[in-house]
Amino acid sequence: MSIYLPQLATVTDLVDETPDTRTLRLELQDAAARARFAFKAGQFGEYSVFGAGESTFCIASPPTRQGFIECSFKAVGKVTTALREVNIGDTVGFRGPYGNWFPVDDWKGNDIVFVAGGIGLAPVRCVIWNVLDRRDEFGDVTIVYGARSVEDLVYKRELQEWSSRPDVRMVATVDPGGQTAEWTGEVGYVTPVVEKTAPAAANAVAVLCGPPIVVKLTLPVLAKLGFADEAIFTTLENRMKCGLGKCGRCNIGPVYVCKDGPVFTAAQLKQLPPEF
Amino acid sequence: MSIPPIFLTESTLRALAADLLGAGTQVIAPVAVEVRTSPSASASAACRHPGAAPVEIEYRVLGDAAGLDLGRRLPVLSLKQFFLPAHEALCRWRQRGTTVQVEAVPTEFAPQVVLAAKPCDSAALAVVDKVMNWDYADELWNGRRAATTIINLACPVIDESCFCTAVGASPDCTKGADALLTPVAGGYLLEATTEKGWAFLAAHAERLKSDAGKGGEEPLGHQAADERAAARARAAANLEIDAASVRAWIDSHFEDPLLAALAVRCNGCGACTSVCPTCHCFDIVDEEEGVGRGTRRRCWDTCQAPTFTLHASGHNPRDDQNSRYRQRINHKFAIYPLKFGEVLCTGCGRCTRVCHAGQDLVEILAAIDVVARRPSTTTPGAPDTEAAS
Amino acid sequence: MSELRDIARAILADGRARVVIGWEDARRGARPVFATDPDDADKLIFDARCVHNLVTYLNPRRDNVAELGKIALVVKGCDAKAVAGLLREAQLGRDDVVLIGVRCGGVLEASDLGQPLALTPENVAPRCHECDVREPNLVDYLVGDPQPDPPRPAMTIDERIAALESRPLEERWAFWTEQFSKCVRCYACRQVCPLCICERCVAEKTRPQWIEPSSHARGNMSWNITRALHLAGRCVGCGECERFCPVGIPLSLMNRKLQQIVAERYGYVVSDDPEKPAPIGDYRLDDRQEFIK
Repeated sequence: MSIYLPQLATVTDLVDETPDTRTLRLELQDAAARARFAFKAGQFGEYSVFGAGESTFCIASPPTRQGFIECSFKAVGKVTTALREVNIGDTVGFRGPYGNWFPVDDWKGNDIVFVAGGIGLAPVRCVIWNVLDRRDEFGDVTIVYGARSVEDLVYKRELQEWSSRPDVRMVATVDPGGQTAEWTGEVGYVTPVVEKTAPAAANAVAVLCGPPIVVKLTLPVLAKLGFADEAIFTTLENRMKCGLGKCGRCNIGPVYVCKDGPVFTAAQLKQLPPEF
Repeated sequence: MSIPPIFLTESTLRALAADLLGAGTQVIAPVAVEVRTSPSASASAACRHPGAAPVEIEYRVLGDAAGLDLGRRLPVLSLKQFFLPAHEALCRWRQRGTTVQVEAVPTEFAPQVVLAAKPCDSAALAVVDKVMNWDYADELWNGRRAATTIINLACPVIDESCFCTAVGASPDCTKGADALLTPVAGGYLLEATTEKGWAFLAAHAERLKSDAGKGGEEPLGHQAADERAAARARAAANLEIDAASVRAWIDSHFEDPLLAALAVRCNGCGACTSVCPTCHCFDIVDEEEGVGRGTRRRCWDTCQAPTFTLHASGHNPRDDQNSRYRQRINHKFAIYPLKFGEVLCTGCGRCTRVCHAGQDLVEILAAIDVVARRPSTTTPGAPDTEAAS
Repeated sequence: MSELRDIARAILADGRARVVIGWEDARRGARPVFATDPDDADKLIFDARCVHNLVTYLNPRRDNVAELGKIALVVKGCDAKAVAGLLREAQLGRDDVVLIGVRCGGVLEASDLGQPLALTPENVAPRCHECDVREPNLVDYLVGDPQPDPPRPAMTIDERIAALESRPLEERWAFWTEQFSKCVRCYACRQVCPLCICERCVAEKTRPQWIEPSSHARGNMSWNITRALHLAGRCVGCGECERFCPVGIPLSLMNRKLQQIVAERYGYVVSDDPEKPAPIGDYRLDDRQEFIK
């Protein structure tokens, strides 16, 4: 059986998070495969619409929830546009899980700080739920999430849920000008809001994901707050095809994002050549 | 297990090929192909071999034993095409409404033999084996490798662009292959180097006994050894590098102006990657072939193409030819050795010969080797990166 | 040669250009050189091995060359036609480039030779027979002595086309299917062509996927024929696409055939005069339009 052969999955739910972002819930059609499917937070898959091709997204649902996987994506190209047109009940292809993962088990007893921007919340959401599903294993949980505007916030229902939990500190923000009259969250870019939120760094790890500019500007802020480079985790994106280290496309210097990543610490990021 | 080298004449070698064909075994071998149809190819053949018929050598599926070319010229494309074809199906699908059926493609292949392979081409297969088995075993590649017995023909070294000995191969190596033919007076000495090779000799023992004792007086073993040593010396005279220093220099000089200066001539045409025996980058595409059915294929791709690393967002980490050319050098001489312990190059020289813009890999490697070996590892006119760090 | 070098040296010394792109003699024969220092001017050569059409380096896609600064380009007459094409299509302004023309007596089809060879009907570049600009026009400087005519190739491209056209349809279809089956979609033909200037090539578009990316005969035919059609009326016949093709597809037969059709239907032959209007890209207010419904 070839490593390139996709499994078949049925679309069992879909949510249009924003005008251009959708979340799909998929269930593998083969019962045995569905039962034994397991993955770790941070891993990704190759999702396909037959005829359009394959596209790479993280698995956005947590590994603590069995029987389905979710992915969230923006419709920007051929495959994502086709994925935006599938309906509940349609069949798509899936290959995975691929890549490395967030070392969540190493974080037991730590405080966790999640920072995300825009669609970057998707891989982080997986870890958030992974942590919240095992809440008593971890210390304080802080989430700072921002998007361009209220409309662009993803996982809106979950943002509400996290806000209402007493065991989570949820700070949501929109860029200046992106607020509505009803908005009660912060107004400001993610980076200054992180600084203002000032999560404690002692005994904490940070999980960061977002557009390159958000990552680039937030890293020094986290450093200033006292987070060591080895305690900051992010996940990188690059153009991928095979997802398993053979097609030679996703490397950043000697690091293949699909095999050696996509999860990296800030310390590892700083070793990479400026090619991403 | 050790079987002494077997002497065979050319006619026995051709008879062996005929035996294989007669038994229905696919044989891949160098074949001479006339190139009169391309005005450019015929004229440029006339420039290089005045007076001769315009001919190129290609690895082809052999139709008959007479077609086997033993002239030891370099085939235009490498053996790569028979293990990672220019395009191949990964799976096929049929879709009706919400129901999809996916059909796998076979990963077992009929046994085949490559006769008179270039050692640089076979060695390349062993190099690419590494990435093809990096945690995930590529069954299509492995299936074809398992099904194939490769018999090299020792190479005399083609010209000043060969540099196999500088990168861990040689004109007589059997890395990636199963047996070696070495030209000697009156014919060839054939020796096997793997289980598969010995099994081949055993399977064709009768045919291979035909010329026993006909080898002439001079010890053929010594003749073969001399021939092989002379070829190795010729290759070494083209280029010698300290591969480890080159790798270390490339790894630590990512933004060095030397790498940019080397790329200015490059058109990004991708001819080098297509003729290269170790370049293996591929694309995966879905191609619809009717309503609700199609084939998912992989096909050769090139890091030299502008859209190779283009994100759907429009961001392109390598959006100019300098960075793309640097990637090629980096991948072959630094990244792959770092990850897999092998240079992603066997010194066949095809990239240099096919580059009509004049990019010369011997010249490039020699230039990097010079700066890599300098104690302060600076290049003239470049900022002193060692001192700065 | 010294005339060429003197001009290049002066241009670099007084800053009329930042780089002179010409040919040099290297380890493997003649190849493009990028002279940025006045001393580099001594590397410049011109002989029968200088077959490359250097106008490919003026292609607007070539960022890494553009960043060297203003270019002075050494051109043969055929090469100057490509410059005219770029000017005609507003890809370049005439003042953006300095052109140093060389008088040419024909070139060999291979550059990777230690020495230039005498031209024979077998080794002469096929493009030379079609040449009507032995003295390049459009240039700022013109160097070299007047040259004798190149020998006529054993078979000209037009003769090859005529021979192919005399064959029955099934044979021609089989011929082209076989030729296009060889294509490995490296896109060398496109990359080297001075007139393939699209920022995003039709082959790279995915919505919709006009051209199948795989290198089966069907996808290859789609690619090669599309490219030929996109060059109809624009191709200058420099033959670089065919020379660069690593698998020897006779692209010049197709491109030349299309130029024959354009000449026949529109009375237009590609010229090195950028003012001469071309069938594709030029329009006038009094153009016929009664067929547009």
